[in-house]
Amino acid sequence: MRTLLHSTAAAVLAFSASLPGISASAQDMIELTLWSRADPSGPLRPGNILKGAERLNAQLEKDGADYRVSITVLEQPDQGGYDGDAERLLRSYAIGEGPDIFHAAHEWICAFAEPGFLFDLTDFTNDHPEFFADIFPSLWASTECGGRRFAVPQDAEARMFFFNKNLMRQAGFSDEEIESLDERVLAGEVTLDDMSDIAQQVVEKTDAEYGILHRPSRGPDYLMIFNQYGSSFLDPETGKLLLEEDKLADAYGWFERNVENGVTPGNNTSLEWNYIRDQFYQDNNAAMWMYGVWDLGSSAFPRGVPSDQESFFEQFGWTAAPAPEKGGRPGSLTHPIVYGVGAGEHAETAATVVGYASDAELNTDHAVTTTHIGIKRAQLDDPRYAEAWTLALATELLEFTHYMPNHPDFGTLNAVIYEALQGVETGQLSAADAAVYVIEEAGARIPDSIVVN
Amino acid sequence: MGATAEDAAIRASARSSMKGRERANMAMFLGPAFLVVGFFFVVPVFVDIAISFTDLGRELRITEITTKNYERAFVSDRQLPAVIWRTLWYVGATLLIFNTTFGLLLALATTSISRTSGTFFRAVWLLPRMSPSVVYAILWVWSVHGGDTSLVNQVLMHLAGTEEPIDLRQTSPMWVIIFANGFIGASFAMIILTSAIRSIPGHLYHAARCDGAGSLARVWHITLPQLRWPLTYIFIWQTLSLLTSFEYILLITGGGPFRATTVYAIFIFQRAFGSSGQYAYGAALAFFLIVPGVILALLLWRISNMRRLLQRPRIEVQ
Repeated sequence: MRTLLHSTAAAVLAFSASLPGISASAQDMIELTLWSRADPSGPLRPGNILKGAERLNAQLEKDGADYRVSITVLEQPDQGGYDGDAERLLRSYAIGEGPDIFHAAHEWICAFAEPGFLFDLTDFTNDHPEFFADIFPSLWASTECGGRRFAVPQDAEARMFFFNKNLMRQAGFSDEEIESLDERVLAGEVTLDDMSDIAQQVVEKTDAEYGILHRPSRGPDYLMIFNQYGSSFLDPETGKLLLEEDKLADAYGWFERNVENGVTPGNNTSLEWNYIRDQFYQDNNAAMWMYGVWDLGSSAFPRGVPSDQESFFEQFGWTAAPAPEKGGRPGSLTHPIVYGVGAGEHAETAATVVGYASDAELNTDHAVTTTHIGIKRAQLDDPRYAEAWTLALATELLEFTHYMPNHPDFGTLNAVIYEALQGVETGQLSAADAAVYVIEEAGARIPDSIVVN
Repeated sequence: MGATAEDAAIRASARSSMKGRERANMAMFLGPAFLVVGFFFVVPVFVDIAISFTDLGRELRITEITTKNYERAFVSDRQLPAVIWRTLWYVGATLLIFNTTFGLLLALATTSISRTSGTFFRAVWLLPRMSPSVVYAILWVWSVHGGDTSLVNQVLMHLAGTEEPIDLRQTSPMWVIIFANGFIGASFAMIILTSAIRSIPGHLYHAARCDGAGSLARVWHITLPQLRWPLTYIFIWQTLSLLTSFEYILLITGGGPFRATTVYAIFIFQRAFGSSGQYAYGAALAFFLIVPGVILALLLWRISNMRRLLQRPRIEVQ
């Protein structure tokens, strides 16, 4: 079974959650499949599902039930990030080979829900408050399509501008200017262009080569800039994806100016992820890096960035995305990862496993080891969570946070937005042309899902 | 009388058994080829055409039979004209610079030196064709990437004294894929033309020498006219092959940066299997590649009078 996933799986780990002393063969075994990406930024996303199955089996034994659950993990290497994952999983479901449980970026959930690939979790989550009642209400919004819940939040995070204080000092900024930068951004005193200006001064006055670097693949972070320039991408009236040419052009304009001023390299979109991280965290070669808090746990600390709060903030800082105009509101983006449950024969059992996996303690294990934000109120009381300074500070940014729209075609639109960004940065499109390109391309690829303003 | 009738019957039976054997032989020898051509060339064309009239998308469901994919290609897909021009430019440049001209030069050069050296240089030029696509593409990426560790930048910075590394995939992506494909394409012409040059009777050259022809004159007046048909064949074959160029471009530039190297075959791939998973539209675009492919092949066949090349020789030379 599941031949498609099997064929591409990098590693297939079979996990039989039978307890000592109990022969698994004595009971019926419900075999569930779990799709997961081999990802150092979240090994417990599959790991907690396995523990959830273990806990369910323990409960089943206590209840004297005549069945047990086993989980087969289908683990794939990263190929094209969460967008690539979702596209492949959609194809698997389309031919009836989808997994029982998987994790995905929230904005893709409606693409799975619309054709009926997912188990509608609305009633199940309401009927099982013991698993789900404590989850932050704001996070549930990221799992809904048409008012129904189709997934369970797994984690959240905050995306921000990291900056290198050492380079800013070398460029002649005073300690006061540097230490107050994040607060001035939050107060609306520093604009996006001011950030570019700071980065430009670093490039001009120090040996650092790069001003502001951003991710080299499609994904969420650069969308913060579009949010800041007024694009919410969702039309509340029609529920369709909203494209506003002038606002798109404004956002592309910022990236265009950055390349013109030598702040962002024209080939940012073709740099390697690890090269970028080396430049920023390790080599003192970039003033700023637009990314997210979990990168500290999986990339920065392993590169020798100090993991205690005081030493970290001596060398680095972070802040929300500034407003485009003085006095404007800063912004951040959170991008929850969610568990989806396939609409198969064992959907309820799979949902129960997800319920056990969403336990506060297990989720805190994930949160503190990978610097992701948790999903339940109870986690805030966990001393381990409180000790993880990155989480407490990143949580402050949630005040300004945006979500990407939960729309089946947002992933496709984001691919177009990213293509145009590459066009702008490589000098093949002007900012104004990029806005037109997005509208035309989205009109060609997803004509029924967009509204143009 | 009886014997004659018997003879006739035997002859008829022999004829019919011979015909039967001929048919069996034909089925045996040509059958596998027919099956391969049928399953891998003819059936996919019909499958492609059938899919192009549906709305097959990433959910792999067909809900309607429609012509909207063709309407979209002709009316609303604004990228298409640029992609077609880019493809023509890529095919034309690769074909003229490498797949014919450079291949011819290689064949002329390697046949005019000693046999051992000629074989050695031809073997070197065959290496790109013999390497697995991914290995060859990775070598190109290592050679031209924008970091200071790429082969090009090592040479430029350490030998030529350039200060900043250059990123050829950003500044001249089209030339990168033309060179990458051309290095492979050139060996095709090299091999065919080498054997064609070898088959030119030596006495023509001796006679020309006696008449006082220099080496250039011998190439111009003897070799090139004899290569007309092989060159025509190479031209036709390589045009069709380049129109479907795909894997090296995908591996080296991915069709980018932005759309700078998105030629038609890459465009089909992006539309069909990219973010939107529009298989039916991809099938319609692929259909456009099939039609001109067939038309072009027939047209070039006609123009170049290829039929004469394939005719039975009028005299038999023993």
